[in-house]
Order: sequence, then C-alpha cells, then structure tokens
Amino acid sequence: MSDAKVTIFTGKKIITMNPAVPVAQAIAVQGDRILGVGTVGDLAQWGDYELDEQFKDHILMPGFVEAHSHVMAGAVWEFPYVGFYDRPDPLGHTWLGCQTIAAVVDRLAECERELKDPDQTLVAWGLDPIFLEGERLVAKHLDQISVTRPIFVFHASGHLATVNSAMMRRSGIDRYTPTPGVAKDFDGEPNGELQEPAAMSLAQDGFSAIGVAMMSSNAKWNYAREARNCGVTTIADLGTTRLTMEGQLEAWREATDDANYPARVVVAVGHFDSNSIVSLAVRLRDEEETPKLRFGIVKLVLDGSIQGFTARISWPHYVNPPPGHPGNGLWLIPPEQLADIVSGYHEAGLTVHCHCNGDEATQVFIDAVELALQRHPRWDHRHTVQHSQMTTAAQYKKMAALGINANIFSNHIFHWGDQHAAVTIGEERAARMDACATAEREGVVFSVHSDAPITPMSQLHTAWSAVNRLTASGRVLGPEERISVAKALEACTLGAAHQLKLDHDIGSLEAGKLADFAVLEEDPFEVSPAELKNIAVWGTVVGGTPHVASSK
Amino acid sequence: MKLSGDLIEVSVIGGYLGAGKTTLVNHILREASERVAVMVNDFGEINIDESLIDSSDENTISLTNGCICCSLVDGFATALESVVSFRPRPTRLVIEASGVADPGTIAAHGHGPGFALDAVIVVADAVRLIEQIADPLVGQTVAGQIRAADVIVLNKIDLCDTLTSVNAELSELNPKALLIYTSEAKADLDLLFGREILRTVSSAGHVGTFESRTHESTQPILRENLEALIKNLPSDIQRVKGIIRLAEAPRIPMVFQLVGRSWDLRALADREKSPEGNRLVVIGPKGSIPIAWDNFLR
Repeated sequence: MSDAKVTIFTGKKIITMNPAVPVAQAIAVQGDRILGVGTVGDLAQWGDYELDEQFKDHILMPGFVEAHSHVMAGAVWEFPYVGFYDRPDPLGHTWLGCQTIAAVVDRLAECERELKDPDQTLVAWGLDPIFLEGERLVAKHLDQISVTRPIFVFHASGHLATVNSAMMRRSGIDRYTPTPGVAKDFDGEPNGELQEPAAMSLAQDGFSAIGVAMMSSNAKWNYAREARNCGVTTIADLGTTRLTMEGQLEAWREATDDANYPARVVVAVGHFDSNSIVSLAVRLRDEEETPKLRFGIVKLVLDGSIQGFTARISWPHYVNPPPGHPGNGLWLIPPEQLADIVSGYHEAGLTVHCHCNGDEATQVFIDAVELALQRHPRWDHRHTVQHSQMTTAAQYKKMAALGINANIFSNHIFHWGDQHAAVTIGEERAARMDACATAEREGVVFSVHSDAPITPMSQLHTAWSAVNRLTASGRVLGPEERISVAKALEACTLGAAHQLKLDHDIGSLEAGKLADFAVLEEDPFEVSPAELKNIAVWGTVVGGTPHVASSK
Repeated sequence: MKLSGDLIEVSVIGGYLGAGKTTLVNHILREASERVAVMVNDFGEINIDESLIDSSDENTISLTNGCICCSLVDGFATALESVVSFRPRPTRLVIEASGVADPGTIAAHGHGPGFALDAVIVVADAVRLIEQIADPLVGQTVAGQIRAADVIVLNKIDLCDTLTSVNAELSELNPKALLIYTSEAKADLDLLFGREILRTVSSAGHVGTFESRTHESTQPILRENLEALIKNLPSDIQRVKGIIRLAEAPRIPMVFQLVGRSWDLRALADREKSPEGNRLVVIGPKGSIPIAWDNFLR
C-alpha cells in the first residue's frame, strides 16, 4: 500500500452491485481507486484516513455506464432547443417544451435578439411537427422572427429542416432550385422545408453547424456534464468522433486529462471513418489510452431505424408502412461483406459493436460473428449487438452460445412504443421488442441505453423503461419482458462495463476498482419501480473526485 | 459535350457488390478524354497502371491524363467541395456509390451549385442478377438500384447464357433506362456520358457505333415544341442532353436530359455562368439520327 491519503466516504446506504458484499456503509478511496467497502470500522484497518461525510444522507451506487451515446449530445446545446418535451441542458437549465408553433417562434425570437452579429445564422434543433397541432411550421412563421437573419431549424428526426426566407435567399433556393427535397407550395414556391441531406446541405452553414460544434472542446465538456447530471461516470461515444480528423484525438485528450472533466469516455472508432480502421483502432487502444480515455471498440452500422421504416426486419416485415415503401429497410453494409469486415476487426483483437435495429440485421451480424469465430477462434471477444430492438429468443440463445453481448434500446418503449404497436411492427412484435427479460433468461450479458441525444441521457430512465415498459400514452407494452429493478441496475452498471471491456475497473464498488460513484437522493430499491426515473441525482464521483450536478 | 463554362457534370455509378462498378471506374479513368474526378468507396480496389499515375497519397491518385481519383471517406458534402477546388477544374464528377446504396439518393446531391446531374448509371451483373433479385436479403436493394437507373450497364454478358431472361427481368424493373451491354465494363464513354462524338471508332469492346448531332439556337424554346421533339424522336435515339431556355422563363437556363425512354428538365443551380441560348446534342446508333432531327425546335 502506498502512502497516499485515504478518504473514507460514508453514505446513507452504499449499493455495491457486488453480489458478495451487496451493501455497505462506507467506502475508502486512495488516489482514484477503491481501497475497500464496509463499515468505517472495517476500513480503519488500512490505517490513517480522512472521514468525508458529505454523502451521509445520500445513496451511493457504482457510477452508471452509458455504453451507447454520442458526443453530439453535448454539441446540440450550442443551439436553442425547440422540441415538444421539456429537456434539461448540461448546465442545469431546463428548456420547456415548445408545444405550439407560436411557442417555437417566441423561443427563437428571444434567441435571435441575443445574437450580436447580424449575419450569423440562427440554428435550432429538436422540432417535432407531428406533435404540433394545426398547420405545419414553414418559412413564413420563421420570417416573423427575422427577414434578414438566416434561420435553420433541425427537426428531431434529423432528416428534415425548416429555414426562413433569408436563409433561402442566401442559399439561392427559389422556385427553380433543381435539388429534390426542396419542398414547394402548390404555386411552385419553396416553403422552407428541406428534406434529406441533399436538400438540407444547400443551406450549408446551418446544416453543418451541429457537426462542426461536435468537434469543439465545449461539446466534449457538455457531453460529460450531461453524464454527470444523471449519475453516469462512463460514457461511450459510439462512432461519432472522426478520430482521423486532425486535432480530434488531442481534443479528447485535453478534455479528459483535465481533473475537472467529470466522466470517463470510451471513444469507439466508426467503421466508415477511414480506409485503415484496424490499424488506427489497434494503435489507439495500445498507445493512446489514459485513465479517462479508452479505446478498443469499432462501431458498425448495419441497418436503419424502425420508426423511419429503414430497419431490416424479417418477414412479415412492416405492418403499416407509408405509401411507396419498398417493403423492408436498408442495408448500410452489404450483408455478404459483413463477415469479412467483422473478421478483420476480430482477428486484430478489437471488439465490434454493430448497430442492428431489425431482427434480420441481428441475424446477419450473428452469422458474421460465427464465421469470424470459425476462421479465428477467440474467447471473450464481447462483440455486441447495439440497439438489439427486435432480437428474438432464438437469436439471444445463439448470442449466448457465441459470447455476443446486447445493448438494448429500452427507451424506445416509452418514446415510440405506441407507434411500434400501431404502425411499424404491430402488437405482437412490439410486445416482445427490446426484450430484456428474454436476454436475461437466455443468458446474454446485456445493457440498456439512451442513444443520447436521440433520447435524453439518463440510465435511471432507461432502467425505468426496462422495468416498467410504459409507453408515452401510459400503456404497459409487453409486460412479460419487464425485468426487476436489480437486473436493470446491473445492466446499467456491470452489464455496460462488460461490453466495453471495463468491468475489471468499473461497474461495481469493490476493492481495486476505480472510485466512480453515482450519488443519488433516494434508494432505487426503496422507491416504487414506477418512480425510478424520478430519483434526483446529486452528481457523481469520478476517480475519487466529487462532481456536483449543475442543477444543484 | 460541355454544358457550360465551369459547370461540372455529375454521373453516379451504382450497382450491387461484384457487378463491376470499380471495373467501370478503372475503365473511365483509363479511357477518359476529359478531366474526370472520380469519388470511390473502395479506394483500395482502384487499379491503375503505374505508368498512368502522376502522384498519389492515402486518399487521392492523380493521373497523367488529368484525371483524379479520391476516396469518399469524408462524405459527399466534403467530396463535392473538394472537387470544385481542384485546379484545373474537372469537367465531370463520377461518384461510385456503395454496393448497397440507393444511387438515386446520392444523385440528389448532383444538382447543387456548380454541378449538373447527368445520369444515374447502374452496373448489373448479367450472370447473377436474377439470383440476386430473388435473394430475400438483398433482392429489394438490387431491384431498387435497377429502378433508379437512367443507364443500365449490363456487364459480364460474355459469361451469361441466360441473356433473354435477364433482359426480360430488366425491362420489367425499368423499361425506360438506356441499356448498354458490356463485358469487363468496357462501356462506350461517349454514350455513357452523353458527349458529342467527334470521331467514331469501332472497337471490340463496344457494341455498335454511335454518332451525334448538335442543335444550337438563340431564341427561347416553346415547351410544346420541346415536347413535340421528344415525342417524334426515332426510338433508337436514347440520349439527348443540353442546356436550353424556355419561352416561359427565358432567364433561367434549364438542363435537359433524355436517357433511354425518360427525360427530365430542371433549372440549373448556377444561373450566372451559363452561356446564352440553347445547345442540345443528340446521340444515337450510326445512321439513326435524321438530318433534321431538331425541326421542332427551329
């Protein structure tokens, strides 16, 4: 044992997630690691200590691990939010939802007045027209805010944007604009709605704004602040950062090296990032890791989204797709190429996390991993099905046999569950989607995630969703797939740590692991399961350093 | 033909894995008679004679014939930006779509300022097409690509002994596209790109020979005259293109494209740099173009 100072934190209750010693009253920390858990009396055997009682009325848990989110969650807050639901930002301010077109216009008018440079484009995000009653928001509404300053509003789906007349003028968009996706009125004039990237990119500085912001240091900080505010101590940025881009590795390093940076970050390399991902990912893992910056994961995207009707779903496919839909979703990688791609990463000792929303995509990934294993037997690879929304019992059984993990998008049940039952995949398959209970029964190590900023980051919310399976309309969707609070909390800690290959370091509170805690105001085992998502979070401790949430 | 001053014509090449997209790209780079920039997904597959390479780095190959080949790894927006900045400026951009991409979606990027979309070219594997279309995993993807095509390059015909059924399948999926038969993807580039043909050469790789005629005039054209021209074109003629002015909006240069049995007329995004007047070129098999093919426009 070294001579470094020992601090003993006491808590009202310490939930360790270590089944051997599930509950404790005190936890001793030396440097950034846990010296031991137990009672203050037990821990005194390690010698001199300083008693820190600031958490004596709080519940301490292993810091939550969010294994699928994106640094974009930090970048979006460079811009005003105009979504339907209330949403807290990383600095602790809750943006009230804009529930009418007038509310959107008022919010933007207020933000417009704060901009000093008259030429600066006002960019906003989160608009979700399906929730706004009456006519659709178009350029003429935004023109009430300004006829001279360009305005660009991203929709929540990411597929559409609405701009004002000044933006159209600056981008040369008029009745003759040839690009498909520039929506036009019955009289042929563009109405301000730009559909899909080719059209949105005509308004270049608006369209690229969030991507540019993502590269900033501030986005990296806000991403970690968002994590801290909900008790998350390790976040995985899954394939968003272009690590081949000059300065990005250094920017992550600079942020995470700062003692005040309140999270550990696993930056997964995206398969499409460069022509030589294997060597890049291996080099990052072997040479660039620091205590708060980890690598070793490659992210693949195999299909689209269920609510966008682009996920690859096995027969009988979609129940009520829009007119003109081809019947099934899109492949983003040719299915017969996947085994070779996975094999390349697999043989290099990397862990592949593959986005599979539909069950057909899950099957193609499972088959690819099986082939990679036949070619190159390798134990404990922990390749992971990401989203895993429609994975079947048979697939989970096979995944268990092959050692594949799952990260289940449980928040979908709340956010889109009603639509899945009615429109996308129908009642029966909606009742068994995001099947945490099946994954548990079949012995697959799994986690649950928010995919922030797609849904707001909060592992208490994703756990709540897995435990209750309540939709936005209030129905229980698929009660048989509900899991216990204990299992959901395990998924958010050890389960996620396992698939990031960090469970030797994080995910439970026990001697030798990193001193990463979530500091909660209430005991998740004591509140009613329906209240899980409402538990207030004091903040976190990362490597022994407390970080109080912004709202405190 | 060159549509106008600085304008870059965009051809998108789609088609499923293994159809011969990269072979076609290599053919284009080797045979190009204009300055072509090619954006490819699979940079490692580009296979150019050392003697033709001027310089190369991780993501770009410059050829001695003025062509340039780049990786699409940074996405379309960045690729389009970088093409505009090349000096001397390319006259044509060829984008190779990934094997599962919908080339029609990518083609939507080809209308931006500085560019004019020429055609969506889809390469199909004559040997495997029927099997691919019946495949439960990729059938919809392959069929969707064929439907999105203005030009179908039916490749590997030398290896195919079921050409009749392949033709039937193609004409059911997309009866309007211009169909070019090839082996080793050696398509006639004049036909592929709709260029004015200055000399006609018959070579082993080409099926038939083509010729072109050009129409030039200064007065804006009546829409009904344009429609009459299209209606009365001999059916052998499957490629007409150019820039015209319509009488209803004479200040707006319109890009006209006729490929196969379908045609499209769209405003040019760049209105400032376009030359005045009308210029259309028609391309067809030798002997198929009437001397007065453009009577309706006069």
